[in-house]
Amino acid sequence: MLSFGDYIRLYFLIEAQYIKSQMQYRVDFIVSSFGMFFSSLATLSVFVVLFNSIPTLAGWSLMEMVFIYAFYMIAISPMQILFDAVWWLRYKVQSGEFIKYYFRPMNIMFYFMSERFDIKGLTQLAVGIILLVYASIQLALVWSPGKLAALLVALVSAALVLISIAVMAGASAFWLVNSYPVLALAWKVREFAPYPMSIFDGIFRFAFTFILPIGFIAFYPAQFFLRPAEISPVVYLTPVVGVALFALMYKVWDLGVNSYTGTGS
Amino acid sequence: MRGYLAYLRAAIQVGVVYRLGFLFTVIGNVLYMIIAYFLWRSIYAGKTELNGLTFDQAFLYIALGSTVFILLKTYADWGMAQEIRDGTISICLAKPIDYQLYTLFTTVGFSSTSLVTVTLPTVLMLAFVFRINAGIGPGYLLFPVSLALAFLISFHFDYLVGLTAFYTESIWGISTSKDIIISVLSGALLPLQFFPEAVQRILMVLPFQAIYFTPLMMVTKPDQSVSVFLPQLGIQALWVLATYAACRLFYNRAIKVLRVAGG
Repeated sequence: MLSFGDYIRLYFLIEAQYIKSQMQYRVDFIVSSFGMFFSSLATLSVFVVLFNSIPTLAGWSLMEMVFIYAFYMIAISPMQILFDAVWWLRYKVQSGEFIKYYFRPMNIMFYFMSERFDIKGLTQLAVGIILLVYASIQLALVWSPGKLAALLVALVSAALVLISIAVMAGASAFWLVNSYPVLALAWKVREFAPYPMSIFDGIFRFAFTFILPIGFIAFYPAQFFLRPAEISPVVYLTPVVGVALFALMYKVWDLGVNSYTGTGS
Repeated sequence: MRGYLAYLRAAIQVGVVYRLGFLFTVIGNVLYMIIAYFLWRSIYAGKTELNGLTFDQAFLYIALGSTVFILLKTYADWGMAQEIRDGTISICLAKPIDYQLYTLFTTVGFSSTSLVTVTLPTVLMLAFVFRINAGIGPGYLLFPVSLALAFLISFHFDYLVGLTAFYTESIWGISTSKDIIISVLSGALLPLQFFPEAVQRILMVLPFQAIYFTPLMMVTKPDQSVSVFLPQLGIQALWVLATYAACRLFYNRAIKVLRVAGG
């Protein structure tokens, strides 16, 4: 069995190789970073244009929405940067290449996911951090060390929710082979995470909180920092939902890995 | 012509194989419409009209917009990049066919499957489940024509991006940038009436509004006179020609750098 330290060391070794191989496509890297930058700003530009016509959205101001969106962008970065390989799982499963991951004495998910490191995702992370700082200054939020620790917990929890949804969508390849439609669906739903859950009526609010938990990606955790006086108890569930979803996702992944028989080649 | 129709038919057959994929696309679009419904309801809270649009009109615009987006998102640029990178384009070049027409027909085949499996159910849902009422008028009749022209403009942008694969290894960056620029500037995400007036004036002279804003407004405000719609169709047709010319010019340059190793 490999220790945790071994895994960290291995991760850097594999990543270093991957980044070296990517350095031959320098133009592509620059253009991709611009693409990522534009795509980060698209939703933001919709907010800005929309708030020209309305003073608040379900009681939330533009700057509060910017804060929630920035939180979302940071929370999505670990998934984007470290778990980008979910988009390639379907090709590896289809071609039979996935079988190679069974023949190394290490965790299969670790090995598979470590083969890709999405450098352009760092652009999104940087934009997210800048926007979060900007919005907290504009909103005059006070950050105590306790609050910062809570922010870290909230971000990690939200990141776990996003990673779990993405990996489960990608892992559908073990049964469907072409998991692209499922991934595209998950990708589309995630776009709605930065909107206030208070816009939804009873049954839909329940669904987006407990069945398809997009509320925990940004809106609920961000509430804790924006309006600590009026948060609902649901907000405190964020870490529980994050960890529980990750456990469920790992179970699904394991089921898929154990049912995969390769292509015979 | 018959040869090209064979490509169209083949693309439809490929589409039919991925029936399950369309099911997920429909589910995704329905979820999107539900979320958009609530979002726009809270945007319109207490107001009957915003920037000249009623809630019904704005919601129809957004919901139909996301459906048209699925129809126009044909991944033609990705397919071309794949063909150029792995060299299968040489098979195409060796035949007496035009590469752009071949790509167009394959793309039309791909989209006609999603027209039946995604667009039609959505339109029926908008009419019968959400009970959207935006009035009756000639806009409905001209919408298919306008949509066809929009499809061509959108295809030409995809084709131009696909051609960049002759120069770069991966088109992720440029294709994503194109998608984002078109969605924001064409009015695919928000009706252009919501933009500040100075910005609107700029957007109206760019080609992007001809892809989403023009066809969507024909359905959103169908009860205007034909003399309002016809010049809009004319502008769309001009953009079809302009982007077509750009495609031809760029192809003639790009094809010169192609090197396919072996066969």
